[in-house]
Amino acid sequence: MKISVNWLKEYIPVTHTVEEMADKISLTGIESGPVSLGEKLSGLVVGHITSVKPHPDSDHLKVCMVDVGESEDIQIVCGAPNAAADQYVIVALHGAHLPDGTKIKRGKLRGQESNGMICGLDEVGVPEKYMPEEFENGIYVFDEPQKPGVAVYDLLGLKDQMIDIDITPNRADTLGMRGAAWEIGATYDEKPVFKKPELDATKVKDMNDVTVDVEEKDLVPDYLIRELKDITVGKSPLWMQRRLWNQDIRPVNSVIDAANYVMIEYGQPIQAYDLDKLQDKKLVVKFAKDGDKFKIADEEKTLTHDDLIIASGNEIVGLAGVDNGSIAAVDENTKNVLLESGVFNSTSVRKTAQRHDLRGDDSTRFEKGVDNGAVDEALVRATQLVDESSNASEISNVITGNLTKAEPTIIKGKISHINHLMGLQLTTDEIVKILDRLGFTVDVSDDDIVVTIPTRRWDMAIEADLVEEVNRIYGYENLPNTLPAGMETRGGYSAKREFSNKLRNVLLGEGLDEVINYSLLSKQEVEDFNVIKTEYTKLLHPMTEDHEYLRNSLIPGLVRNIAYNQARKNDDLGIFEQARIFDRPTGQDRPNEVEYISGAVSGNVLNASWNTEDKAADFYYVKGIVDELLSFTNADAKFEYEATDEYDNMHPGQTAKILANGQVIGFVGKLHPNYQSDHSVADTFVFELNIDMMFDLNSKNVQAQSAPKYPSISRDLAILVEKDIENGQIVTDIFENGGKYLQDVKIFDVYQGKNIKPNHKSLGYHLEFLNPNDTLTDDEVEKAFSLVKNSLIQKFNVEIR
Amino acid sequence: MSLNDTLKNLRENGIDEAKRAERLQELNDLRVNLLGKKGPITKALRGMKDVPAEERPEIGTLANNVKKDIQEAIEEKMSELNKKLVAKKLEEEKIDVTLPATKQTQGTRHILNQTIEDIEQFFIGLGYEVAGGYEVEEDHYNFERLNIPKDHPARDMQDTFYLSDELLMRTQTSAQEGRDMEAHDFSKGPLKMISPGVVYRRDDDDATHSHQFHQIEGLVVDKNISMADLKGTLDALCRHVFGPDREIRFRPSYFPFTEPSVEVDVSCFNCGGEGCRICKYTGWIEVLGAGLTHPNVLKMSGIDPNEYSGMAFGLGPERFAMLKYGVTDIRDFYLNDVRFLEQFKGVN
Ligand SMILES: [Zn+2]
Repeated sequence: MKISVNWLKEYIPVTHTVEEMADKISLTGIESGPVSLGEKLSGLVVGHITSVKPHPDSDHLKVCMVDVGESEDIQIVCGAPNAAADQYVIVALHGAHLPDGTKIKRGKLRGQESNGMICGLDEVGVPEKYMPEEFENGIYVFDEPQKPGVAVYDLLGLKDQMIDIDITPNRADTLGMRGAAWEIGATYDEKPVFKKPELDATKVKDMNDVTVDVEEKDLVPDYLIRELKDITVGKSPLWMQRRLWNQDIRPVNSVIDAANYVMIEYGQPIQAYDLDKLQDKKLVVKFAKDGDKFKIADEEKTLTHDDLIIASGNEIVGLAGVDNGSIAAVDENTKNVLLESGVFNSTSVRKTAQRHDLRGDDSTRFEKGVDNGAVDEALVRATQLVDESSNASEISNVITGNLTKAEPTIIKGKISHINHLMGLQLTTDEIVKILDRLGFTVDVSDDDIVVTIPTRRWDMAIEADLVEEVNRIYGYENLPNTLPAGMETRGGYSAKREFSNKLRNVLLGEGLDEVINYSLLSKQEVEDFNVIKTEYTKLLHPMTEDHEYLRNSLIPGLVRNIAYNQARKNDDLGIFEQARIFDRPTGQDRPNEVEYISGAVSGNVLNASWNTEDKAADFYYVKGIVDELLSFTNADAKFEYEATDEYDNMHPGQTAKILANGQVIGFVGKLHPNYQSDHSVADTFVFELNIDMMFDLNSKNVQAQSAPKYPSISRDLAILVEKDIENGQIVTDIFENGGKYLQDVKIFDVYQGKNIKPNHKSLGYHLEFLNPNDTLTDDEVEKAFSLVKNSLIQKFNVEIR
Repeated sequence: MSLNDTLKNLRENGIDEAKRAERLQELNDLRVNLLGKKGPITKALRGMKDVPAEERPEIGTLANNVKKDIQEAIEEKMSELNKKLVAKKLEEEKIDVTLPATKQTQGTRHILNQTIEDIEQFFIGLGYEVAGGYEVEEDHYNFERLNIPKDHPARDMQDTFYLSDELLMRTQTSAQEGRDMEAHDFSKGPLKMISPGVVYRRDDDDATHSHQFHQIEGLVVDKNISMADLKGTLDALCRHVFGPDREIRFRPSYFPFTEPSVEVDVSCFNCGGEGCRICKYTGWIEVLGAGLTHPNVLKMSGIDPNEYSGMAFGLGPERFAMLKYGVTDIRDFYLNDVRFLEQFKGVN
């Protein structure tokens, strides 16, 4: 809401610029910004059209003589259809500046001299949608005579200074000028002064022709009506109109304008109904029936049984707190009017306004709350304003549908506790004085205070609220900077987080870049890599099909990254992600959140250069990364790779499950060629490992051993073996038979093809024997080596070469 | 010729030859030839028996000196030749150091994780534990326990991805507060924790909005926590992240789970407070929200607000990284173009 400084001055002295005020208000209460209307405007004065002649060479232009307060009238050519003699109008003189940057110059229009321009409101800065409808297609005409030559800015509010406040939902008390005056006044230690509205006592009577029945008293704690008889609806006074259009509210007529004005003044929405349009002289506030129709301007809304309505007979004349529809709308012919002031339940209003897309000034205020202590006074004020401009013959006393006594809030607190929560040592006097600035009254008894909060600050409820008020008015800038001074604590990561950090560091060291992907995937993506065979977890109301399911694998995200990069010629990629996947067992609503670490390598791992040849990623390169990762788990576990063809989108011949002590903890392999081409990625090798499972493995108990002092002896072994026998089987067998001094077995050659028996391959192994405590003899080694060979011949039918 | 003269001749010739040598081999040969057991000196000394006994020591000394002098001459020349050889070799081995390196790569930590870990390290130093939390959370912890009951308007402000009536994708890492307060044994001292993680909102993705982003929640509960503690802590954090000359300021705000609530601005690190495009010409940049834990939130976790108080703050790593490194599109963090990722090598 925009707080007009001119208006504010009616309540408190204002001595600062809007810039200074907006800054200070932002720091002590509510985010604010300065608004200066019409900064560029100049040369605009009142003109009195003394005569109008048709333009000799145009059928729509008129030649006007205009008194602009100078010794002689000036001639202005004007095209507005509504221009007429004896009108008081806005004249932009020669040299005037308009808001759109136009500079007015004297000149000739179709041969006729024109010494300025007669302006419409929109041309001088009032947006078309907020100016009175009658002037939409023409010049603005003052309702009353003005002094020619006088600047128009103040008359029309064109250069108003304003503070635009952007409230948090708890501070709706400042959605009225009076509440804003309290807040700004507290900031500057100025208490606002308000005039109490009064009605013409001679007109006020008890009337019984209208009754009100509130059925939902819990949701409508206050509902008051006043009736004005024999009014003459006309235009509201200019001072009211200019304040309204500067609030982005279009002036309509003397009744509707008064109602809107009071909403801005008090923050209390007021509705008006044409009494003679009511089907029944009784207003009922109740729930709609499903399917009920509610008419607004050029639309009809279908209501539900959760919508509170104002009904008259079987017609719905208002959607409570939201909109008053068109059936009983006040127009220029209205004679008898009902003004309504009430309080409607905020949730009910919010939901109804949302449901029917009717959020507006009224519903915003009811949603956030209104001062139930001002409902009555606001109604008096609206009645007074309508009477002043529309001259009622009789005014009813208040007709009450429901009224809940407005009680001030009492908050008890302790000076010491308030100080302690702020981290300050203010005196009791200082605190009491700050609370007094806000208009709160305080009873002090030693350390205890009892604070009485007026109803206009319905956000205040507990001692912590007092802490905030005192602290902000005292000034957050005056708070010292301290650190919590309690008992020493030991900070750090959880053991599992340390573990995953360690694994991430290994992959960074292996040259993989870390990525972060979205956890929400498409249906296709969760189906693509349901390696853990989980139930899918779906959002109830997804925004897009791309982000509909909780991820069950990190691989789809990595593949998306590879595709995105390779489409941009970043061909050689190594990336990894450490994040959660969601594993939902059948019958369970809530998915388990499991930490995973996954990687993908595509393209070259080494590029050709002036001194190197390129090397493409392959299964074994990525397996090497996994091996290094596993070695850094420090797990006392047996890790194995087991070929698998059971994952749909993985290459059936180049994929292995990764096992720890026989349990599957992940997989490594090449993406299926079809999947690769579907996703436009080059040959890509991926791995995925369950961190939670690796974390749960027992740690190694590392005891230092000195490096061996005795030399080792090695033997090379070349064998010819059937193609399908795996290296893993051979190595296991070598270790089983190599005796206690066999330290290491390395494969140095794998060959099949030319010069090798069909369906066979040749393997070369390097065996390293070492006795840490003594020098080994050739005999000992030879013995062990023969055992190894014999076993291989027997078990795998190998040929020793 | 006397033995004496013979030895002197040998010395003269030996030194001369050594000086004239051009290759190491010549010098080695010279050493063997002259000084070896079959060499002329040894041979000459066989004539010692003809020398009168009283002159023998003198001749002996001379012979040793002759050997030594020749030896020295050979060594000197050798060292000279060696130096030349090494110099030549070095000259031959000279390379073009401006040719590109053989590539060695470390990966780059994602800039969001670098930002998060930098903040984590700061708080670990102050004795905070880093807690985890659930990404799928109960409505109860994400809202109710944060003083946001079912019909609270704040639920509109953060549109939520629900999985069922009671389960949702957490919209804020504050959802962890209730769980951490419940789990903490206050007899063992204060609760000091930060809780980083991913949160979700029903937002359309654009340059400044993302349906998934990160937050770091901070919570301290103890007997004497104050607004001044909150200000001191966040002041130190902002100096750590944005530079030692930064200042912060509090502006009143509203969150259902803190009272008082504040927005925290840091003085603009780009213009130092003079006003520029980044700070929208205010000199200040809003970086996080904070406040004292609402007494209702403490009570719901079984903590007596008359005895204990708490401070809480929530900050967005995306926002921090965008400000600090001038990232203008939040989606860049999730597209993972390696050229984007790798520019942050080692920034933290
Ligand atoms: Zn700046």
